[in-house]
Amino acid sequence: MLHLTIRKFCALSVAAVVWAAPDIAPLGKYTAAERRHWAFQPRADVAPPVLTDAAAKAWIRTPVDAFVLAGLRKAELTPAPEADRATLIRRVTYNLHGLPPTPEEIAAFVEDKDPKAYEKLVDRLLESPRYGEQWARHWLDVVRFAESDGYEYDTHRPDAYRFRDYVIASLNADKPYDVFLKEQLAGDEMDPKNDTLLVASGFNRLGPLRKNAGNQDVASSRTEVLTEMANIVGASMLGMTMGCARCHDHKFDPIRQSDYYRLQGYFAQTHASDVIIATAEEQAKYKATMEPLESEMRKLRFAMRRASEEDKGKILTRLEEIDGQIPPPLTAMYAVKNEPKEMTPIHMLERGDYRNKGAKVGMRPPGVLLPEEAAELPLETEKPRTRLAEWITDPQNPLTARVMVNRIWGYHFGRNLVTTPNDFGRMGTRPSHPELLDWLANAYVKNGWRMKPLHRMMLLSSAYRQASRSPNEKLFAEKDPDNKWYWKANRRRLAAEEIRDTMLAVSGRLNPKAGGPSVMLKIDEELIKDLKRPQYWVTTRDRGEHDRRTIYMIYKRNLILPFMQVFDSPDTLLSCARRDQSTHAPQALELLNGTVSNDLAGALAKRLQGTAREKVDYAWRLATGRLPNERERALSMKYIDDPDPVALTEFALSLFNSNAFLYVN
Amino acid sequence: MPEHIRFARNRREFLTDCFCGFGAMGFSSLLAAEAPKSPLAPKEPHFPAKAKRIIFLFQAGGPSHLETFDPKPLLNQLHGQKRPDTFGKVEYQNVNQNSRILGTKRTFAKYGKSGLEISDLLPHQAQIADDLCVIRSMHGDMVVHSAAQYQMMSGRVIPGFPSMGSWVTYGLGTQSDSLPAYVVMPDPNGAPEAGQPVYTNGFLPAVYQPAMFRAGKRPVLNLEVPKGISMERRRKTIDLIRQLNEANLLGEDAEFSARMSAYDTAFKMQTEAPEIFDLSNEPQETLDLYGVGKADTDDYGRRCLMARRLVEKGVRFVCVVAGGGGAETEWDAHSDIEKNHLRMARLTDQPTAALVKDLKRRGLLEDTIVLWGGEFGRSPESERGSGRDHHNTGFTMWVAGGGFKGGMAYGATDDIGLKATVNPVHFRDLHATLIHQLGLQQDRLSYLHQGRRERLTEVHGTILKDLLV
Repeated sequence: MLHLTIRKFCALSVAAVVWAAPDIAPLGKYTAAERRHWAFQPRADVAPPVLTDAAAKAWIRTPVDAFVLAGLRKAELTPAPEADRATLIRRVTYNLHGLPPTPEEIAAFVEDKDPKAYEKLVDRLLESPRYGEQWARHWLDVVRFAESDGYEYDTHRPDAYRFRDYVIASLNADKPYDVFLKEQLAGDEMDPKNDTLLVASGFNRLGPLRKNAGNQDVASSRTEVLTEMANIVGASMLGMTMGCARCHDHKFDPIRQSDYYRLQGYFAQTHASDVIIATAEEQAKYKATMEPLESEMRKLRFAMRRASEEDKGKILTRLEEIDGQIPPPLTAMYAVKNEPKEMTPIHMLERGDYRNKGAKVGMRPPGVLLPEEAAELPLETEKPRTRLAEWITDPQNPLTARVMVNRIWGYHFGRNLVTTPNDFGRMGTRPSHPELLDWLANAYVKNGWRMKPLHRMMLLSSAYRQASRSPNEKLFAEKDPDNKWYWKANRRRLAAEEIRDTMLAVSGRLNPKAGGPSVMLKIDEELIKDLKRPQYWVTTRDRGEHDRRTIYMIYKRNLILPFMQVFDSPDTLLSCARRDQSTHAPQALELLNGTVSNDLAGALAKRLQGTAREKVDYAWRLATGRLPNERERALSMKYIDDPDPVALTEFALSLFNSNAFLYVN
Repeated sequence: MPEHIRFARNRREFLTDCFCGFGAMGFSSLLAAEAPKSPLAPKEPHFPAKAKRIIFLFQAGGPSHLETFDPKPLLNQLHGQKRPDTFGKVEYQNVNQNSRILGTKRTFAKYGKSGLEISDLLPHQAQIADDLCVIRSMHGDMVVHSAAQYQMMSGRVIPGFPSMGSWVTYGLGTQSDSLPAYVVMPDPNGAPEAGQPVYTNGFLPAVYQPAMFRAGKRPVLNLEVPKGISMERRRKTIDLIRQLNEANLLGEDAEFSARMSAYDTAFKMQTEAPEIFDLSNEPQETLDLYGVGKADTDDYGRRCLMARRLVEKGVRFVCVVAGGGGAETEWDAHSDIEKNHLRMARLTDQPTAALVKDLKRRGLLEDTIVLWGGEFGRSPESERGSGRDHHNTGFTMWVAGGGFKGGMAYGATDDIGLKATVNPVHFRDLHATLIHQLGLQQDRLSYLHQGRRERLTEVHGTILKDLLV
């Protein structure tokens, strides 16, 4: 099946073959064993296992169940019974929306007599725009989305939010994944006049960016830019740790150093492009402010050439001053474009050092996925990133679909089939269910790379609907401590965003406004002081904005909000395939003493009306999706039976700190 | 071997993920079958260790080696001239071909039994000469602050990789059950250029995050109970949380008990961490030693003294930062090196020496490593007439205690301090040596992340045996 890709790729390559020249790095060679690695093999044309006994027939709801059940049986395990409805609606609502179901939604679902009640629920959730807000977070983690440069200045990217909105909208529209990837890699090449595509192409600029004061070392900075562009493609789209081959041939995988630089070759023409969309008036105002500053800077730089040592110092100080006065950039789309005249010749770099230039390379995908001697394309090739995108999204590409269905599976089931989602290489793990992985990937491609049918197939399965506790808990936990075979659902702790969003929702404060520029919360002065450029942190004036979903809060590389940090949010410097779920004391301190939880506990307390029992029950239903059990109710009522005016707020805070709130069964 | 992004949460994993599983939290009965093992519980090193902990006195901005520990008489002879070509080329940020050599106004003398040469900029550190192991041949790969700071702290020139403190706590855990394992005390003037990510745990689990002990009214975030809430009320609330969690427990649950013990630890931290800041029970003599109460040295003196108090309580890694918030308030002397360095020395020299003296008299220096230095040194040529530019090809750091030899100078730069020419020491060699003293093998202190077994030293660092007792 692979040969289709290869033939197509070769056809694209014949135009100009440059690798014969002596200063061109030779093409990598790969042994048969290297080529045999499972992930590089074409996907198998598998069918779900046929299980005809009554028990199997009763359990299998969607094809994925047949694969899961076959695995369970082989491991001599049995699935857990189905979770009760209240648990199910809470689980699936968090899974798709990152928010809790309301008590009314829970009641309606629990009482729904329709045998298709769960199907209806899943469909409703998939159709809601909240779905895109939750699932965008996963992709943004993978592509290390942030709204500042990182490094010294950590300059803000006030227009980067458009990329976040693009991802949310794409997911809500169930945009085919191949189109989604093409737009991000090469949107500007597809149509430079289409705003959405330009915003998507900002993908290529998401990495951290080092800007130096003084004499910027252009070559070094450019190398870093190209490195960021190439590495993320390997990690996010291919599950290949390409970055490891920057300095030398990959130690474990058949990725030669030349493969790495040939991947960089696709970006040789790519440069940043801010497509201005500010109004004429704004542009005029900006120009009026900038012109005197620019002209002074020009003069100073000119004077610098002949200045005495003494004057040089003064000039540099003045230049720094002016730099601080530059107004925020004009509203623009954060995009890329090809500049053939500014093309960077790509060389092999010894130990990855831009000063140690070796042989030149053109552009070519990783050779182990191509036939021996498949030619490279010259760097001058038109629309280079489109070429790369076409190769990546070719239905026959053995990695792309597998990598994505594995991510989706993991976000649903709490454990991926390949537990190293960014590394399908030799150091990664092998799939626990290789046939299921291939079957899912085939189905994904066949259904036009659409995610929603895949979500449905997984969510409607019996495997997904299992309780998070098995009647054979102890025995099975010994046999399969990692729940590799899915003999029960995996309980999970809410992610940082989900915790905050839920507190907002249940306290009645959540502002559901979607999209637009990111919000900067009021935070501890000391945190702002830790920034080289504290002036960038401008607390959003409209306080109503502060109560929006966390995905709309600014993600700043040098100031990850403490709340987010303690609950395992990624640092957005490297791709994050999967968040940790750690448990440590600073989480307790944050939820007990932090302003977010205390403020919202107060708001929740105000919502509680009626008798003590009514207050307690309503709070539990809001915060945990269920009524308290008798002991929980007794404890809660005893606690609030206290003249202390803070008792009710502290009770609400206790709920925010309870396992019933923080975990999803 | 799954990497950090694995998510199957079995019992064992939760136990190794919880902050502090230290039993005796009233909840431990549930765990009787298997004692919880926290990732921060003290761990055996790979081989017998010489040192147990590190205090890093991070001199942000890059103190000049030429004004401190690396005397270069030729510099003053060549003052005002162009750098002779024979010394070779280096890349600078601002210094260029027209720049002239800048002599130093500092004078050097020999101190202690060892006769170690130290400049008159640092009269207090001169008194501890015999405890200092001065490395005059440090070099790094980057000449800009942020990237150089990342390399100094994490071994990598890009952000996102775990810092020394995170690696060390990952390898050894902590000996304190009520204080964070890894503490950073930033300069109240602001952050160094590399910002928050320089202290990061990177891809190591969040338990290895540093705790920031900041200046100001709320030194530790969320340590104080909100206004209007008494400690008694808070204890009741924590009890309620515990009882509610117990009320819904279906048998033994390692993760939930780990979470509950995190609350107990948090409560303990609330009472015990503030004690670290309260210096009132320190004798006046000690306060005077550190310069606490004297305008210039009060801030850094307090922070150095707190560093001692923290390591006494078993904290594994403490980073005390001198410098931040811009060139003038750090060692980044682009213009007027005299003014800048005299100020920085006035603030930090006495407390620095006091820390080493104090640790020594308490018997703590033997197994505590004190590391002093910044991300680079400063250029032999002048910038802006009287300043010096960044300089990464040869500069000085020093180490004291923890099995390092005292009173020695190791390696050398050329005659104008341009390049490390004798026994050059890269950051990764220093890292390798530091963790070696802690009993950790650089190859074994590793973490699989996206296809690579990442480690502090990135590639193999050389253990500098000559520096060790």
